[in-house]
Amino acid sequence: MSEIKPTKKLDVRGLMCPMPVVKLSSAINEVKVGEVIEVLATDPGSLTDIPAWARKTGNEVLKIDKEGNVIKFYVKRLK
Amino acid sequence: MEATLNIPGKAINDKLLYYLDICARCGACSDACHFYVTTKEPPHAPAYRMELLRRIYRRQYTWSGKIFTKLFKTNGVGSGEFLEEFKKAAFECTGCRRCTVFCPFGIDMGAFVGLMRSMLYRAGRGNEILDMLADTAISKGEMIKELQETFAETIRNLEERLRKETGDPSFKIPVGVKGARILYVALAGEHSIIPAAKIFNKVGENWTLSLFEASNYGYFTGNIEKAKKIAERIVNEAKHLGVKTIVISECGHAYRVFKHLVPTWFSGFNFEVKSIVELVADYVREGKLEVEGKVVEEPITYHDPCQLARNGGVIEEPRMLLKLVAKDYRELTPSGEKNWCCGGGGGLVAIPELYELRMKAGKAKAEQIRRSGARIVATACENCKLQLNDLNRYYNLGLKITGVIDLVAEAI
Repeated sequence: MSEIKPTKKLDVRGLMCPMPVVKLSSAINEVKVGEVIEVLATDPGSLTDIPAWARKTGNEVLKIDKEGNVIKFYVKRLK
Repeated sequence: MEATLNIPGKAINDKLLYYLDICARCGACSDACHFYVTTKEPPHAPAYRMELLRRIYRRQYTWSGKIFTKLFKTNGVGSGEFLEEFKKAAFECTGCRRCTVFCPFGIDMGAFVGLMRSMLYRAGRGNEILDMLADTAISKGEMIKELQETFAETIRNLEERLRKETGDPSFKIPVGVKGARILYVALAGEHSIIPAAKIFNKVGENWTLSLFEASNYGYFTGNIEKAKKIAERIVNEAKHLGVKTIVISECGHAYRVFKHLVPTWFSGFNFEVKSIVELVADYVREGKLEVEGKVVEEPITYHDPCQLARNGGVIEEPRMLLKLVAKDYRELTPSGEKNWCCGGGGGLVAIPELYELRMKAGKAKAEQIRRSGARIVATACENCKLQLNDLNRYYNLGLKITGVIDLVAEAI
């Protein structure tokens, strides 16, 4: 996979369900179709919540990285 | 923008007609509503919420309401202004039912707010955030096979961490165990798994962790079909595993949904439903769990989550547990079934634009906590915890907010 270049960073570290998904659903409207948001989260629940949200809303989780207790999602706006 | 709001025929029953007719507009409900006492806005008065519903009923179902529109105030029904007022009345309510306790006729306003939300949903004017969260939960259920490994890996890592922290190499967080006695349904996040897991391991419970989260945003949207789909994931899991008891984590609305609604939604639902607070109280009563003593030094109080206490009857158990672990337990006044709602329920904590309103609605709660002199507030509901943390910052209360089960887990 070529290098992912996020155009926006969303820091939801410390927030618990459902706030990571609530913040992401708002932030996705602030980037253009085709652009990527990097989401930083600490709630392990987001590991299943964010992919489920992406599927439902027709967006795409390109990659998930874990660094210590921080989970990084790269989410591409598809529509 | 206009939209057609209709009361569906199946919602017209004796209960609805009786309540619409008998309300004496005495105002007892308004004084009991944490929204109305601070905002004084008519759509926050429970009797006025009902008046909006009454106007729709008259316009839709009575000849007098259709003909004498000015006399029965049905002329404005359907206008943009009416719709906005109706939406405010429906979504700026936590469904706490404090108004019901103080109403001389016991009018069940919470049920009508649910009906109002469902009418808005059908008119395409529901709350988008609550709907998105409900859809996300349904989506999670549909793609559980894909997500299962991620979930299992997260739990394995947590289990490993807790083995080190507790010094117990046999510490387990079982997932998908057939024949387990208990299916524990936590929230999305390890904070609601860890304390319960510590207690289950301590008493040697035969339990298994649900793949799904307890919360049900479908219930908040007013779309009962979505609420059923979300609950069905857990019902099917419980049937597949053959458990006896479904135990709900510290989450007020999830408890209410599972305890009172789910058994009526699904045939063959033969499970006992308990809150984790009730179960842990049982362990103590039966001598299965001993706490090390009163480890909480600072004054502590308990906030009754409306769905657990007023609407669920779980009032004594959390107090019994807190008195076991605390040296200085203080009661809020009023408490139990008459407790002030914190202002965060009904899905409101998830709606960012309602933050200021939530803070206003939580003023009565903040004041009663301040009067108690407590430095720690324990509660047994996730929405309440989120709201109490916000109130703590907003009103500079200097409190620690925690769960009942967290404190018990720290004391064993």
